[in-house]
Amino acid sequence: MIEDRFLIWRFNRGDSAALCRIYEKYRDGLLKAAAALLNDRSGVEDVLHDVFVEFALSVGRFELRGSLKGYLAVCVANRARDRNRMVRRRGSVDLVEVRPEPASVPGPELEAMSREMVAKLDAAMAELPDEQREIIVLHVQSKLPFREIARLREISINTAMSRYRYGLDKLRSILNGELGS
Amino acid sequence: MTDRKDTKRMVETYLGSIETPAGDRVDEKVLPAALTAMHKSKPHVAPASHSIWRTIMTSKAGKVTAAAVVAVVVLFAVFDSFTQPAWALADAIEALKDYRAVHVTGVFPGGTAEVWFRANEAKTQSTDVVVRGSLGATTWTRDGSTYHYEPGQNTVYYEPAVTIGMSQWFGPELLEMFRTAQSTQIIQGKDPATGRDRVMLMCSLIDVRGPRSWVMEFDADSKLPVAMKQWQNLDRSGPPSFDAFKIVYYEDLPDSVFDVQVPGDAKRVEKPLQIPEETVGILANPQDGISAEGMTQQEAAQKIVRALYEAVIKQDMNGLKGLSPLCRNWGDDFLRKIVFKPDRDDRIVEIIEIGQILRTGQSSLGPIAAVPVTLKLKNGKKVQEQMIVQFRSMGDRSSCVIHGPYGIAREIGQ
Repeated sequence: MIEDRFLIWRFNRGDSAALCRIYEKYRDGLLKAAAALLNDRSGVEDVLHDVFVEFALSVGRFELRGSLKGYLAVCVANRARDRNRMVRRRGSVDLVEVRPEPASVPGPELEAMSREMVAKLDAAMAELPDEQREIIVLHVQSKLPFREIARLREISINTAMSRYRYGLDKLRSILNGELGS
Repeated sequence: MTDRKDTKRMVETYLGSIETPAGDRVDEKVLPAALTAMHKSKPHVAPASHSIWRTIMTSKAGKVTAAAVVAVVVLFAVFDSFTQPAWALADAIEALKDYRAVHVTGVFPGGTAEVWFRANEAKTQSTDVVVRGSLGATTWTRDGSTYHYEPGQNTVYYEPAVTIGMSQWFGPELLEMFRTAQSTQIIQGKDPATGRDRVMLMCSLIDVRGPRSWVMEFDADSKLPVAMKQWQNLDRSGPPSFDAFKIVYYEDLPDSVFDVQVPGDAKRVEKPLQIPEETVGILANPQDGISAEGMTQQEAAQKIVRALYEAVIKQDMNGLKGLSPLCRNWGDDFLRKIVFKPDRDDRIVEIIEIGQILRTGQSSLGPIAAVPVTLKLKNGKKVQEQMIVQFRSMGDRSSCVIHGPYGIAREIGQ
């Protein structure tokens, strides 16, 4: 947190190295968040590109309230939401077609979860309302506390927690239905 | 599926398993765009503490030229106050004496790059240089030539001259050279981030590659340059062409650092001989140079190159400026320091041989040619330089003039 404040201070004075450091520090987490939030995962790089370009353009006037990680994660969520809507407007998207194949050499997490289950969770996540999906990803993947999510989203903490619970319940319901069928 | 906790655990596993694009690929797309965006909208105001900066030494602003100084980088610290009563350039000079190799990390408008430099044993100039860009492009020197590999084209571009590196190594003479430049400013202050005292040196020059300006930041305790920026203009406007935010010094480096491998099937393309358009106008004065009437290009080129080095050996300032008009804007002290080198044992004392034209090209003024020269130094060493000659036809008269060195001089033994 202190490091982030110092980085922002340097960034606002036009320090390229500070921007590079911020990018390196948060890139991987933001990529994961974007991938979890996008229906079309081929747009992950575009989302990160847009978020960092927008952030870079704020040089000299960026004010950090709360955590930088939270701010960037919410920017990713906003971009992902816009992109999902744009794709929906363009017409139906076959998620099976646009999602990349799992890696040929799976990581330990993927080994622990069958590809079939990953595909089902992909589809189930895509069925969640945007606001529930975002809060699940921001809380579980980005590790943001509900209080911060609520502040960044300008909602009450209870609303944030409710959306999270509803989201998990709906996921469970979808998956149970899938499993049952 | 039992309860919410199980669902959460499953979601955690799922989120951990999501595949994302490779970091390098994302970096190539995101980082250059973000840095470019930042430079475009970078605030042009100085830090709030600017008013308390102190200029220790300021000479007249003006254009200064450094022959083949292919330099360096920048800083980025912000000074919010100054505490040292004075800062002597001589301290930095002393601190640089022990280092023969340097690793520089920085950004340029198209990405990031790391640069490895190594000096000759006498630490007078760089001999080995490798520049590795974030997008896979690599530039390096070997056996008197410069190579540039473009991975997207799987092509190696080369030219038979050392066109990257430092004609003057980090150390006493480089800093002396900057000190004598007419536009040099030295400013000192305190870096609020680290609390360390910092000193900033600003300089601008027109060299044979066109206009350049630099800002170099020195750590006031270690007296070592710690960051640098370079612009391809004289007023440091716009984004820097290179922004080095990290400089690490080594006493030496293994040869393997300078090894570069390219795919065996890479194409080889020779780079054309060119001079920057910004410098062509300076070469157009018919009063400069020599007549080439009745001579072949080879004869005229050899004659003017010989005249140039004779002027250098005799330390004939006016003769030098008349043959090589790019020098005309340079301060005499600076010119004396980098060309005549009267107090140094690596000054030129004899012309051993002027060779045949090695390469030819074309500028908007007419044909150009690179001529190799073998020279003897006072310390007994031999060096080979290449000089670019510009041929001109004005009215019905032919003449030629010296543009400047093509790359850095190369030691070829005793």
